Amino acid sequence: MIKFIPLINILILILFSFIILITKKEKNVKLMSFASNIITFLLSILLLTRVLLEDFIVLNLGKNNSLLGIQFYIGSSEAVISLTFTFVMLMILWFSNSSVKKEVSEIRISFFYILINILLASLLGVIYSNDLFNSYVFIEVSTLSACGLIILKDKKENIKATVKYLIMSTIGSGLVLMAIAYIYSITGHLNITNINEVIVSSYQSHQNAVLIILGLFTVGLGIKSAVFPLHSWLPDAHSSAPTPASAALSALVIKVYVFMLIKILFRMFTYEIVNSFIIMDIILLLGSMGMIFGSIMAIFQKELKRMIAYSSVAQMGYIVFGIGLGTISGTAIATYHIIGHAVTKSSLFLISGLMIEKTSSKKIEDLKGIGREMPITLGLFTLGAFSMVGIPILPGFISKWYLSLACIEVGRVPLILIILASSLLNVLYYFPIIINGFFGNENLDGKIYKSKKIELSRLIPIFFLVLSIILVGAFSSKLINLF
Amino acid sequence: MDLIIVVPIMLPILTGFLLGIIKPNYNNRNTIIISSTILNFILILYIILFKHNVSFHIVKINEFLDIYLMPDNIGKIFATLVSALWILTTFYSIDYMGNQKNLNKFFMFFMITEGVTIGIAFSGNLITLYLFYELLTLSTFPLVIEKGSEKALQAGKKYLIYSFFGATMVLFGIILLFSQTQNLAFTPGGIVGSVPMGNPNFYLFIYILLFLGFGVKAALVPFHSWLPSAMVAPTPVSSLLHAVAVVKSGIFALGRMTYYILGWEVIEHTKGNDYMLILVLITILMGSFLAIHQQNLKKRLAYSTISQLGYIMLGLVIFENSSYIGGMLHMLFHATIKITLFFCVGAIMHYENKTELKEIEGIGKRMPKTMLSFTVASICLIGIPPMNGFVSKWFLAIGGLERGNYFVPIILLLSALLTAAYLIPIISSAFFKGKPAHDVEVSEPNNFMLVPIVLLAVLNVILGFFPNALITMIQSAASKLF
Repeated sequence: MIKFIPLINILILILFSFIILITKKEKNVKLMSFASNIITFLLSILLLTRVLLEDFIVLNLGKNNSLLGIQFYIGSSEAVISLTFTFVMLMILWFSNSSVKKEVSEIRISFFYILINILLASLLGVIYSNDLFNSYVFIEVSTLSACGLIILKDKKENIKATVKYLIMSTIGSGLVLMAIAYIYSITGHLNITNINEVIVSSYQSHQNAVLIILGLFTVGLGIKSAVFPLHSWLPDAHSSAPTPASAALSALVIKVYVFMLIKILFRMFTYEIVNSFIIMDIILLLGSMGMIFGSIMAIFQKELKRMIAYSSVAQMGYIVFGIGLGTISGTAIATYHIIGHAVTKSSLFLISGLMIEKTSSKKIEDLKGIGREMPITLGLFTLGAFSMVGIPILPGFISKWYLSLACIEVGRVPLILIILASSLLNVLYYFPIIINGFFGNENLDGKIYKSKKIELSRLIPIFFLVLSIILVGAFSSKLINLF
Repeated sequence: MDLIIVVPIMLPILTGFLLGIIKPNYNNRNTIIISSTILNFILILYIILFKHNVSFHIVKINEFLDIYLMPDNIGKIFATLVSALWILTTFYSIDYMGNQKNLNKFFMFFMITEGVTIGIAFSGNLITLYLFYELLTLSTFPLVIEKGSEKALQAGKKYLIYSFFGATMVLFGIILLFSQTQNLAFTPGGIVGSVPMGNPNFYLFIYILLFLGFGVKAALVPFHSWLPSAMVAPTPVSSLLHAVAVVKSGIFALGRMTYYILGWEVIEHTKGNDYMLILVLITILMGSFLAIHQQNLKKRLAYSTISQLGYIMLGLVIFENSSYIGGMLHMLFHATIKITLFFCVGAIMHYENKTELKEIEGIGKRMPKTMLSFTVASICLIGIPPMNGFVSKWFLAIGGLERGNYFVPIILLLSALLTAAYLIPIISSAFFKGKPAHDVEVSEPNNFMLVPIVLLAVLNVILGFFPNALITMIQSAASKLF
């Protein structure tokens, strides 16, 4: 029975989205959405406990090993990521319960919940799938539902951002599809495990084809996960979307594609094969550039959500950097960073949504003195920022530390400078918000203490997310050992 | 029962948060902070006298992220210094800060900083030290910008950037080191000696990274300029930054790094200390020369601190028993001397609203006790025997001679002259200029301020006459190192 949890998770979410479609009352819509997400969250816990006992679970649908048979593979990283994603999504839903009305017009509220359900289902699908075609289908579904979430606000900028996102990610999907076609023509399989068996023995006779395939996958998935020079759609899309959607997009959506890249590079091919191609150095370079330029561009942003969105580009750089090292420890830390960043970035986005709602301004300069008006909210923001900057024990520090050790392991000590420079740059854009929020006479003049306080009940999901940031840091060694 | 060593760290921090949450009024706040600092001092005395060889793992996340406390002799001395001076500063600040609004925030960070500094003193490994070191930057930042003016924010920003830059260098060094040793626990004699020695240049690189990184907080030239800028902070904060909290934490961390992590034999093998010696000597001279040119009293003291910190660092780059003792003694003595000087200048600022050298003519007749304390502390700092400054400089000079560095005593003498050159003008203009004494009405500071000042001046004299107990304690730590 537990074996079927991955399938049940996806089906429940989709099934409930259909039920929401025919539900009229807003209250029931929320209830349905919430119920389905709680079920998937609980099932994900169950799944993780099982995976911890058995190492991995394989679920075949359709005929075994048949060409289009669907196969789910859940190892420990898949189980942990799916637990994290369902948890984060649950918190986002909880948050949106009181805030979605403020950004999305009433007739579209049920759409929001339908899209969120489909989005999570497709994300889980990409994570669980062990065959390329199935992954591709889920990728497409996730892209479309993400587009729907951005355009829900139907302002001009949203439409522009959505079109940009749609075009870019269609190019990405096209490249991925081409890569899948290539690999199928070489190996005759779509199942990742089967491809692996064939490719290990025969890749030497297809050197160029393998290089092209690797390139197509990297660029295609790279566009979708906003790897540095391919990121241009992200700041528009993530900053214009309704806050809960921004949180989901930035914390979850871009991560699954990069996770799929990990699966393709290291599970479909192997460390040995990919390291013999120049592609790993290019990935490493893209990651490094993302870490530096993402942060530099974040410094110059005038709007809070855009700044956080650019910070996501930088953080994706960390993940890609870890992949580019081409070692088991590099991959482990990349996977860890997927989780650490998912909880951190979602809380930062939700908090920024609250601040924007209360000040009714997107500008960073209008947030001066906000620490007097919303002390608890900015306090939580501070904790998230500390993780980004790398204060010990929080996940940001752990990632930095292990990434550096992984660099030393492959004998590339100078790369540590990039990691450290990036974290110093993080200080430059996160700290001014905190400093101007809490301190400075000019900033605090005329601000009334707790005047913009948020009701505690709205802060609870953020509390949980911030708590999970600390937990992800505190249990880092256990997590990293899993991957 | 080893848990008790966590209490001196947590008590002030929790007190700080308590202030932030319940927001007490003036009287209640004073009761809370005074009792908390005094209780903390008593606790630390208890730990020193009755708890030997205690250690405690707060959290152990994995082999490197192991937040671990292990107060040894040097740590205990530093913690005593911190907690004792914190009591005096608390009284002083109560009068100095007065009854303005929003002081709860100020005292919240004031208390948190005490806990964090004691955390640095008690740290049992480098990563714990690094954690508290970062927290120290964060908790002192709000104190530096307490005034909230644009200028204060600018100075605060400078302080943050310098500190994080230093901490990043430190982190780089720690990561490189950890990749070699897989261990960061403080061990007398260092941890590197026990693993096979690889490329000496690699360790040289680590040493320089760590030295310069921690050197930022210790105001090592060329990373010193945040310190004079940070003078925009209220005087109690400046005095704490200078005397114990920030710069001494930098020094303390340097000491840990040199003698307990890398080990002086390894450093000597790489010749790294010779390069650093040059920087240290430049620091000593440059601080003194710059101090002479400052007309603002606080700035003058700030540059003086830079120079004096150079003395202490001599004990960390000349690997001799006497140098080490001299350095550690000077760390303590400079703390008590500099805090006295700052308290006096702060009293003048607070009661007479005078900050420049030319404004204070005749102030000694108006505030005789304050300025007498200032004079005593100045004499101590110049190092005229038998004051305490002489004792520590004596050890430093001997250490230099034992190593064959004949220019060390020469520079010490030269710098002592310069010290006199920037302190004597203050004293002479305070006592010998201005109106004759019988025309001036005596107006001393409030007892909250005056008592700490006089107590500290007396303490300096006592330490100068009877330094032996301290020397024995430091010697017992030094004997494990050499």
